[in-house]
This record gives sequence, C-alpha cells and structure tokens, in this order.
Amino acid sequence: MNFEQLFKKAEAKGIESIQIYLEESQQIDLEVFKGDLEKHQMADSRGLTVQGIYKGKMGKFKTEIIDEKLFDQWVDDIIKSASLIESKDEVFIYEGSDKYEEVEGLYQEDLETTDIKEKIDLVFDLEKRISKIDSRVDISEAFFHQVRKRVIIQNSKGLNLEKELNHAVLGGHVVARENDDSRSSYEFEHSNVLSDFNLDEIAKNCVDKAVSLLGAKSIKSGKYEVVLQNAASASLLAAYMSMFSAESVQKGMSKLANKVGENIADNKISIVDDPFRKKSPKSGAFDDEGVRTTYKELVSNGKLTGYMHNLKTAKKADTTSTGNGFRGGIAPTNFHIANGDVAYDEAVSKMEKGIIITDLQGTHSGTNPISGDFSLQANGFYVEDGKIVKPLALITVAGNYLTLLNDVTEICNDLKFGFSFIGSPSLKISSLAISGE
Amino acid sequence: MLEKQLLERAINTALDSSADFAEVFVEDKKQSSIMMQSNTVEQAVNQTIYGVGVRIARGYHSVYGYTNSQNPEDVVSLAKDLAKSFEGERVRETITLGELKKGSSHQIKRMPHTVDMKEKVAIVKRANEAARAYSEEIKQVSISFMDYVQNVWIASSEDIYVQDQRVRTRLGIHSVASDGKEMQSGFNGPGGHYGFEFYETFSVEEAAKEASRIAVTMLHADECPSGVMPVVIDNGFGGVIFHEACGHSLEATSVAKNASVFSGKQGEQIANPIVNAIDDGTIENAWGSANFDDEGHPQQRRQLIKDGVLNSYMVDYINGKRMKASSTGSGRRESYRFAPTSRMSNTYIDNGDSNFDEIIAATEFGLYAKKMGGGSVNPSTGDFNFAVMEGYMIRDGKISEPVKGATLVGTGKDALKKIDMVGNNLLRAQGMCGSLSGSIPTDVGQPTLRISSMTVGGSKGAN
Repeated sequence: MNFEQLFKKAEAKGIESIQIYLEESQQIDLEVFKGDLEKHQMADSRGLTVQGIYKGKMGKFKTEIIDEKLFDQWVDDIIKSASLIESKDEVFIYEGSDKYEEVEGLYQEDLETTDIKEKIDLVFDLEKRISKIDSRVDISEAFFHQVRKRVIIQNSKGLNLEKELNHAVLGGHVVARENDDSRSSYEFEHSNVLSDFNLDEIAKNCVDKAVSLLGAKSIKSGKYEVVLQNAASASLLAAYMSMFSAESVQKGMSKLANKVGENIADNKISIVDDPFRKKSPKSGAFDDEGVRTTYKELVSNGKLTGYMHNLKTAKKADTTSTGNGFRGGIAPTNFHIANGDVAYDEAVSKMEKGIIITDLQGTHSGTNPISGDFSLQANGFYVEDGKIVKPLALITVAGNYLTLLNDVTEICNDLKFGFSFIGSPSLKISSLAISGE
Repeated sequence: MLEKQLLERAINTALDSSADFAEVFVEDKKQSSIMMQSNTVEQAVNQTIYGVGVRIARGYHSVYGYTNSQNPEDVVSLAKDLAKSFEGERVRETITLGELKKGSSHQIKRMPHTVDMKEKVAIVKRANEAARAYSEEIKQVSISFMDYVQNVWIASSEDIYVQDQRVRTRLGIHSVASDGKEMQSGFNGPGGHYGFEFYETFSVEEAAKEASRIAVTMLHADECPSGVMPVVIDNGFGGVIFHEACGHSLEATSVAKNASVFSGKQGEQIANPIVNAIDDGTIENAWGSANFDDEGHPQQRRQLIKDGVLNSYMVDYINGKRMKASSTGSGRRESYRFAPTSRMSNTYIDNGDSNFDEIIAATEFGLYAKKMGGGSVNPSTGDFNFAVMEGYMIRDGKISEPVKGATLVGTGKDALKKIDMVGNNLLRAQGMCGSLSGSIPTDVGQPTLRISSMTVGGSKGAN
C-alpha cells in the first residue's frame, strides 16, 4: 500500500507529521495431547497503527481494516483523537537515527519452508518421549508455536524502516499423579532453527519437574535460606521490570526514582537489556518509534546506571531515547540478570538448611510493582546438608524485591529466558520469609 | 459483512473432506478508550477489529484458522487449506443456512458511537476528581474508560446462523496513596453489557472514592500475619475465589481431558451442602451476558453446584463430543483470533441464610478479606492463590486492624468443603478472565462467606 497519499492528505488538513506502523504476521500452533493432534491452528493477520501530530497533540487509532479508500476518514480520526488530548508533554514523530545496528539471523527461511507435516511429526515425537519416561505421567502434552512477523514504519519525515523475523517455541506439559496427589509442569525451548530443539532434554526436564513434586507438603513457617531457580527468578524480575522504566519513574510509580549512581542491589548483580541477542523475536535494530536500539547494563555490579527511555521520557529527562519505545509506552527487549559463575548444583550442595524455589505463581496479582512487596505461592524442595529432603507445595514466600536483590549471596551460571524473554540465572538469597503450616 | 452465500460456500468447501463440522465466525468490533493520568487526558484511541475465523472438525479433532484479509474469497481459501487436514471421502451433504437469528435481550439505550467523545471525557474527569478529593494522601489517579460494540455472525454446519451484538462499557479507577515513604494502590472497575446509559445506573463519584478508600486504608495497614486460620471473604469481587479455584475446574476444557479434579464427579458431593453455585449468561445487561455464545448457541443459566452436589459442567460443542455431553452454551472467545472453548459467563455462589454480622461474630480469630485482588489456579491440581487487596484481622468476633500483603493459598476441592457459613448479601463484580480462548468479560460474585481454615501467607511471620 502506498501511504504517501495518506501523508499528503494529512498535511493538507493541517497535521504536522504522521506515521504508520504496520505489522503483518503468520502463525502456526500445534498441540498433541495423549497421542492426538488436539490443536492445529493457522493465522494470517495484519494491523495498522496511525499516529499524527495535530496542534501539538498526538492523535492515534488502530485498525485491522486497511484500505486506501479510508484515508480521508483516517485523517479525520487523527484530528478528533488529537483534539481530546490535554497532556502538555511534547510529542514526537521521529526523523530517524544516524545508524542502525545490523542484527543477523532474525529471519530464517528454513523455518518457513519446512513442511507442516515435519513440524507435526516433531510435536508427536516430543509427546511420545514425554509419555514414556515415567509411569506416573498421567497427562502428556506437547506444543509448537511458530510466528513470522514483518514490521514496517513509515512517516512524513522520510523515515522508512522494515524488519522481518521468525521464531518458534517447542514445549511440553505434564500432569503426574500418584496416590491422591497430582503435580504439573511446563517446559519449553525457543529458536528459529528447528534442529536446535533438544527433544530429550525438554521431555526429561518436563517430567522430572512434575514427578519430583509428587507428595509435596507444606513446611513450618519461618525465615529460610533460599535458592531461587532461574525460571522462578525470571518470573519475579518480569513483575518488577516496570521499576526500570523512565515512565514509571517520572510518574512517581518507581522506587528507583533518584537512585541513579547508587547501589540498589548486591554488587554481584548486573541487569541487562540486550536487543541484539540471537534467535529472539524481541531483538531488532529499532523500536516501535523508529529509534535505534542499544545494549545497556541498567544495573552494573549492583549500581543503577539509568532507566529505559522512549522519545517522550528522554525529552523530559533531558537525555536520549534508549530505544525502548514499544507499544506506545516503554518495554525492554531481552531483559535479564547477567549470569554468575556458580554451578547450580554447587549452590544447592552448600546449603545447610534451606529451600529451593522452583516456581512462583500469581506474580500478576501477588506483587506490588510500586512498593516492591510480594507474597506469592511457591513450589520447591526442602534441603538439608546440601541434599533434597522433600518436595514442598502450598507455601508462600514473601518479601520485597529490592531487599531480595541486596540479599543475593550467589549467582549461578544457568541463565534461562521465559516466554516473554525476561531471563535470570538461579540466585541464592540469604533469607526469605516462608509461610506454610 | 460477508454474504450468506459466501458463508455457505466456505462451510461446504470445508466439508469437502472427511470433516463432519464446519463453522465460520465473523467479527466486526469498534472500541474506544480514553486514558487519564496526572489530571490530563493522555490518550483517546479508537480501534477497529475485523476478521474471520474458520473451524473444521471430525469428532473432537479440530483445526482452526483466521484471517483479516478484506478479500472475501480468502475465507474460502482458508477453508480449503484447513480441509487438507481431513483427507478422505465427504461425510456431510451440502449445507444450506436457514434464516438469520438475532438476539433481543440486553437492550442498549445509548449506543457508544452516538455519544460524543467529550461526554465520555466528562465521566473520566468526574471520576478523577472524586478519587483525588477523597484524601490528601492520594498522590496518583489513573482513569481508564472503555466501551465497544462487537458484532458477530456465526454460521455452522449444525443449522446455526446467528448474529449477536455485544455492547460493553467499563470504567477503571486506579488510585495510589502515599505518605512519602510508602505507596499502596486500590482499584475499582464497574462495567456492564450497556451503552453510555450505564453511567445512569450508579454513582461515578462513589465508585471512584472506593478505589481511593482501599489505597488509603492499606497505606495505614499492618503486615498480615501468616498461618492457618478461618477466613471470611466478603461479597462481590470475593467471588473471584470460586471463579478461579472451582469455576475453571468445571469447564469442559479441563474436564473433558480428565485434567480437572472434578472430572467424573457429576452427582457427587463436592462442597458443603450449604453451597449453591451458578453460571448464568442470561442476566439482563450483566458484564458477562450475551444472547448467544461464540458458537451460536443461546446463552443459558447453569446450576453448577446444587446443595453441595456437582450438578452441571460448562460445556462447549467440541469438548462436549469428547465427554458425550451437549453444549451448555458455554463456548466463548475473545475474538476471531481464538477458537472458542468452554468458559464462564456470570459465575457466583448463591445466597445462603447467615447474615454478615453473624458470620463475623462467630469468628473468634481470623482474617476478613474485604476486597480480593487477582489470583490464579492450576486446573490439574486445583492449587490456587489470591492476593487480598483489603484485609482486616478478626479478633474476638469483631473486625479489628487492617492488614496488607496477605495471600490466600489452598486447593479448590478443599475450600469448597470448608465453606461453613454463607451469607445472604449476594453481589456481583466485574473482571476479565484469561484462558485458552483469550481474555473475556466475566462477572464473579458471592455473598459474604466463611472458609473454616485456610493458609494465609503474610510478610509478618507466624502469629
């Protein structure tokens, strides 16, 4: 579609500058449940977001009906939307950065050309492996998700950017049962190269995780030394990511306001936002505003170095955008706690009396992103003299995230990313309040 | 809108295979939203959502695809592509669609697109002012206004050809209180199957004050002690506990696969006999109501639990085939981007015969959870967790000091049996429920009730 016509019509009606953001995607979803292809879904869609500055205010709309015949109506919609805005914040349509990083490997043609039958076979294969490992596996499920995405940003200031990427997830879900107890687990890997997937590893991890929790019970309430496993730590970091957003800081909704240059975590902790990470769909050379992305350590050896910015927050803070302007606000790319050098097994073996937390539930409701407080349901294991004694369930772990970051005593070398590409290695924490019986 | 002939052609193309079921779902939705923060309108966005979903099945094996191409022929091509999954002889005769059926309940007086955006902004401002005026400790208020008109057309090989219009309106008030050291937040979000007349059914100011009241109360609250204790959960949004802990486990999505703790338990006592639970998608103008579900079946009232006995599941068409049960009109989806599955509508525990004062007075020591936050549940184990947004300790049968940071943990199976008092003050509240077929509007509800013992997780340590 030729958007030049839209830009001209907008200009004629007094819109200072205008930008389109077009996203096209194709997706495949497969799910095998107990030897049956339970879900087979294919999708083809496109969505357009149009933004324009009218009398200094930013008007905006979104549509899935993309048709040149609607250009006049779209121009009116922008003006109507802009006329309601009262915010005095300066708004931007960006003319482009001097230089954009070359990001390789975002799109792998092979993933697209591989026949669907091969992908279906892969999921069947994984489900079969999961179901055979342990007789206590009652429900076994394997899933595959593939997405191909093309993003185009064009504006009346001459910006014209395009990126194409693809990505796949292969994973399993298990419910294990023994006596009257049942435990479930999810495990997955992601890549855009099918041969990267290690089926045996996914199957084994998935089954181990569910089976090892069978018979789990609560434990006496108290303060315990804790090893927070990588996936659990990543889910907690995800809940507190907004603390590092300049938007939260400027709105008074972040406890990290005015803390740049100060130590906010133990000096072993570094937190990174990495837009150039290989084989991740969150990677790319530019953000949704068309600004070049940057690699940065937001926390460097415990010290807060800055926040994530988009054009608007950068202007307010008299700095430059870090290339984190996504979805109309601020979001990270591949956001993670940097790896340490302790082997996970070693971290556990040195624990005298403590708890391993394997996963945390309810992070969308049991965390307060403003105060940093959390109180969450957890599963895990009780450890004595470096050995797992028994599995734990129906316990809650409570504390404050910033306190936790200061109480880290060891960082493992097992960095792992979750579904939303927020990652962490396993962390050893000197003390956390656990409530149970 | 796609013509009847084209829908028929898509369905018949899909059935030109060994498939025994084909369905086309067409959606055209217009949504408007306004966001106010820091006393200024920051965003006013209109959104148009349009697309078509095609589903084909043989037995309970189904494939789903969607497109939002504006070329109607692409829908027929999609049907043809999907049919490739069911190679073999045709099993169904050529389908012709009957007369288009339209729903007539949940009438709307002021359609959202006929109301000037300035009128909507005025509501947002009233809410903002009232929330801020509540206390000097209120430092931040954000208001979100949302309304939409969702038109859907559903046609399938099962003699279904319906149109439904869902009009929904919701106001969200989020208040943050601070004393300079600490911050606490409160939320209130009334909504319904209404147009702009919704704002004549309640006081915007009262709703806004409520969010601020919670934030300020929690600012001055103690840390909640942890341990096992009786918990009194108040009416309204307290019903989220039943929604999460039991409702999801009664959906055919998990029941049919034998993945629910309630699979195969129909007719059995699963709750204390004082418990009656209902899922009713027909309540006039309620947030989770509609004329038809998203598979084109009329919405119904389902008695899930009767006197503690499991009476009915919530069943969609495909999972029904696996369970050898018929649809209960429970097939729902967020949009054309999702295949439908069994979901809740307006789900609540019905009135019992205790009153609020009796329940509190009968509790020597425990937690009174006045406002619940969100939570989640693992449907295969029934383990749940909920945040308590506003809580108080009960001491000597009286409501005592406010406490913050409490989490309720348990399993649905246990909790149902431990409900030992049910009040008579049923109230429903609005929420968004996320699951396999996306995020959909649902009401939760209950009268005040007591769970005789429950694990409470708090940050203060054992009491």
